[in-house]
Amino acid sequence: MPSTEYQGISAPLTNLGRSLLPLRRDQVHSMESPIGGSPSNEVELESFQRQVADRFHDLASVPSDELLSLPWVRKLLDVFLCCQEEFRVILFNNKSQVKKPPMDRLIADYNERTVKALDVCNAIRDGIEQIRQWQKLIEIVLCALGGDSNSSQRSLGEGQFRRARKALIDLAIAMLDEKDSGQAVAHRNRSFGRHNNSSSHSRDPHHRSLGHFRSLSWSVSRTWSAARQLQAIGNNLAVPRGNEVLATNGLAMPIYTMGSVLLFVMWALVAAIPCQDRGLQVHFNVPRQFPWAAPILSLHERILEESKKRDRKNACGLLREIYQMEKCSRLLGELADSVQFPLSEEKEKEVIQRVKELKLVSDAMKEDLEPLEKQVREVFHRIVRSRTEGLDSL
Amino acid sequence: MELPENPNKDNNGYESAEKLILRWDSTASEEAREKMIFETDRHEADLYLQAVDEIQRSLSNASISNNTNAAAAAAVDDQSKVNSTIQIAMARLEDEFRNILMTHSSALETDSLFDPSSSSFSAPSHHELEEDDSVSNEDSSHNDLLRLPLQHCESSDSSTYRSTSSIREVDLMPAEAVCDLQAIAMRMISSGYLRECIQVYGSVRKSAIDSSFRKLGIEKLSIGDVQRLEWEALESKIRRWIRAAKVCIRILFASEKKLCEQIFECVGTDIDDACFMETVKGPAIQLFNFAEAISISRRSPEKLFKILDLHDALMDLLPDIEAVFDSKSSDSIRVQAAEILSRLAEAARGILSEFEGAILREPSRVPVPGGTIHPLTRYVMNYISLISDYKQTLIELIMSRPSTGSRYSGDQSTPDMDFAELEGKTPLALHLIWIIVVLQFNLEGKSKHYRDASLAHLFIMNNVHYIVQKVKGSPELREMIGDDYLRKLTGKFRQAATSYQRATWVSVLYCLRDEGLHVSGSFSSGVSKSALRERFKTFNAMLEEVHRTQATWLIPDTQLREELRISISEKLIPAYRSFLGRFRSHIESGKHPENYIKYSVEDLETAVLDFFEGFPVSHQHMRRSQ
Repeated sequence: MPSTEYQGISAPLTNLGRSLLPLRRDQVHSMESPIGGSPSNEVELESFQRQVADRFHDLASVPSDELLSLPWVRKLLDVFLCCQEEFRVILFNNKSQVKKPPMDRLIADYNERTVKALDVCNAIRDGIEQIRQWQKLIEIVLCALGGDSNSSQRSLGEGQFRRARKALIDLAIAMLDEKDSGQAVAHRNRSFGRHNNSSSHSRDPHHRSLGHFRSLSWSVSRTWSAARQLQAIGNNLAVPRGNEVLATNGLAMPIYTMGSVLLFVMWALVAAIPCQDRGLQVHFNVPRQFPWAAPILSLHERILEESKKRDRKNACGLLREIYQMEKCSRLLGELADSVQFPLSEEKEKEVIQRVKELKLVSDAMKEDLEPLEKQVREVFHRIVRSRTEGLDSL
Repeated sequence: MELPENPNKDNNGYESAEKLILRWDSTASEEAREKMIFETDRHEADLYLQAVDEIQRSLSNASISNNTNAAAAAAVDDQSKVNSTIQIAMARLEDEFRNILMTHSSALETDSLFDPSSSSFSAPSHHELEEDDSVSNEDSSHNDLLRLPLQHCESSDSSTYRSTSSIREVDLMPAEAVCDLQAIAMRMISSGYLRECIQVYGSVRKSAIDSSFRKLGIEKLSIGDVQRLEWEALESKIRRWIRAAKVCIRILFASEKKLCEQIFECVGTDIDDACFMETVKGPAIQLFNFAEAISISRRSPEKLFKILDLHDALMDLLPDIEAVFDSKSSDSIRVQAAEILSRLAEAARGILSEFEGAILREPSRVPVPGGTIHPLTRYVMNYISLISDYKQTLIELIMSRPSTGSRYSGDQSTPDMDFAELEGKTPLALHLIWIIVVLQFNLEGKSKHYRDASLAHLFIMNNVHYIVQKVKGSPELREMIGDDYLRKLTGKFRQAATSYQRATWVSVLYCLRDEGLHVSGSFSSGVSKSALRERFKTFNAMLEEVHRTQATWLIPDTQLREELRISISEKLIPAYRSFLGRFRSHIESGKHPENYIKYSVEDLETAVLDFFEGFPVSHQHMRRSQ
């Protein structure tokens, strides 16, 4: 089964055939400890490790302008769903082993991790909604400056620019972290308007509701923290000891693998999408002997590096489209602030260019946000289903 | 008041309109920023709207006449000016729109709906737990099944509020405000400022809904929070959620929808749908998140009834959810509600299955003192009585038969149920019978821990009798279990009674048998005095032992206790009387007859009354009448 099959898939994975074991003995490396297991399931376990590794290699081999883009994040979720499905098959095929200790404890641990991931999924859903709000503000900008489809060659007058600037400032405020919004509101009031003398904004209900609006968008309590949740997911995630591997007939390995995959995927989501208390300090201590260790660790490093870059340090989400949106809107805002009327041809060309760029970002978001939301929901459902699967049904 | 239309832009109408709009530019003057047109003056507001209309008219007119290049160039300039004026007007209208909304966006008046401070519980039904499930703490291997008290669950809350049994829209703001909003929205939308309009509307109304949520007690709990909470705390949250959800869907959301429809009446359904979804999507998801968290929480038996309550409440709400969220953009909400419903059903099934397994595995080994009713029996019978209360729902949910046999392969012997003779029973009824089968199987195992075989039989008798009584006591349960199986159970405890009697009394009565007491010789009428004395001594000792021991045993059911005592008496008393009658003279003719004939018949009759009271007898020996 070629490992690039999952690209851009938005349909739910109903085809269980995908997860049936491929016969790739010819490509099997001779791995020592990561596999373990008896002759009966060694192929199965080895294949699983290989699949995971291949998928993450693909994810890691993208250029930096594609890393953490919406299509890439969607691919990441597909990868998770594939791995989870194969993991489920492995457990199914080794049912008798699964009920015995220490396997039962290991599985219970894994299930606990996945439950914590459910809250992350919900928080990400909120975050996607936030991004959607920003995208709607951009649509106002585009509508004002002729970037939307139904406007023909319209002349850009002062009115349109004012309209666009208003929306751009709203966008800038909305994209700031909550703790900075108070300052930003004051700044907005000062910078907006033809006469810059007034500093009173008490009467202006708009700003009150804007700041208020942010806190309403989280459906979790104020004390919920994505950083803490990630730490909980990664809690006690340790490479299985030799005796554990033996006692579980090698099955401790895929459990550890899935735990690591889960942690990484959730971490990457939190890195990309805005959510409450986004802390990225999670350690990934994966021994290099695992074939998937290298790509995951490399991705981790690259994403961390991105988060430390000067212009991304305070970003509310590392999603590439957020970066593009912020950059485009900032440039456009600066342009809008600097224009004199009537517009020179040169300036007009510049504006049209910036608007085009902004439209590209907006379109990309519009296209991918809803499918992403559906995928996150699908991850949620799969996790729930896999938890209840062990029980007999009436 | 209509201004005369004039394609010539330089007429008074346009100029004065433009002037008015510029006067109210909030970026231009302090005064303009401080005051709100629609708050100030009705007349002022009307004038402003007319001014906006005038400007809009001139915009559409200006695009018509562009016949010469000069005219076209001039037209472009003019258009730009008009656009600028429009933008100023729209920014102003946006602020006015927001202001009107905020003035009238407080939380829903819920006082008339329900009183959150009252504890509205209906009167307890007869299914309340009879006594505490206190178990001796010697056996630390008790599983949770026994620890958890079964609370009475009210399946239908008595309302201290006007019923929210169907959709009931209320007016969220005064008609005048709605009119104003409508007027503003129309202008904004026709000028192409729809998006701003939706955004403002959504953000203000969402905060109003948030206040209503807080008033209704809807919390922002994560799945982790729900997992960590004690089940008792969750039960009250579920109760509160059910009440709140009814108000939310049927009143709050329905009224928001109506408000959207009113404000955006003139501009088509897509827009009011978009505004409605902008407003309620987040809150609706937040509302359902709690029910979702419950539906995926860990399964354990005590959760069944609240989960069924939640299931029923959601089932009841589903048609209204579909009515309120009927647009394409609200698909995800309807889908989520349906998913939660099906997960709750799954959870109910899973819990029942867990319950059956838990009964089978319940491991306590410490025998209940006195052979009385085991807490497990009480718990299970109370549980299935409650299940029969929820019969209506469960009959729909439980669709397959209990799995017997293969599930428990690996156990030495597993309980068995013959389905052939249970034809025509619903799956739910089969499960209930299976539960009783499994319970008995477990009890059999427990009975083996009694060292005394008689006590083991008594234990079985007590417990099976209790099962029978509970089944008889509930018409729904009885109807489902069926009289056939009830007969079987009755036979079982009667047989246990018989086995008990055999185990205890056969050897006692053996002392009073005739053979072995006569010396050999078919014509001799001699009686072996030594043998006779032995018999009496043995009988006395055995009886005293049995009396001492079995007085501490307990048969809780009065009638059963009486019946068994009578049954014992019927065998013991005549046998002793007859024995005494035949042989007392032989003893009394020897020395120390009191050592052998210790008890009179009356003594025995009195002694029997001590049996199965559960109290140790105060004297070491039985009372003597002397």
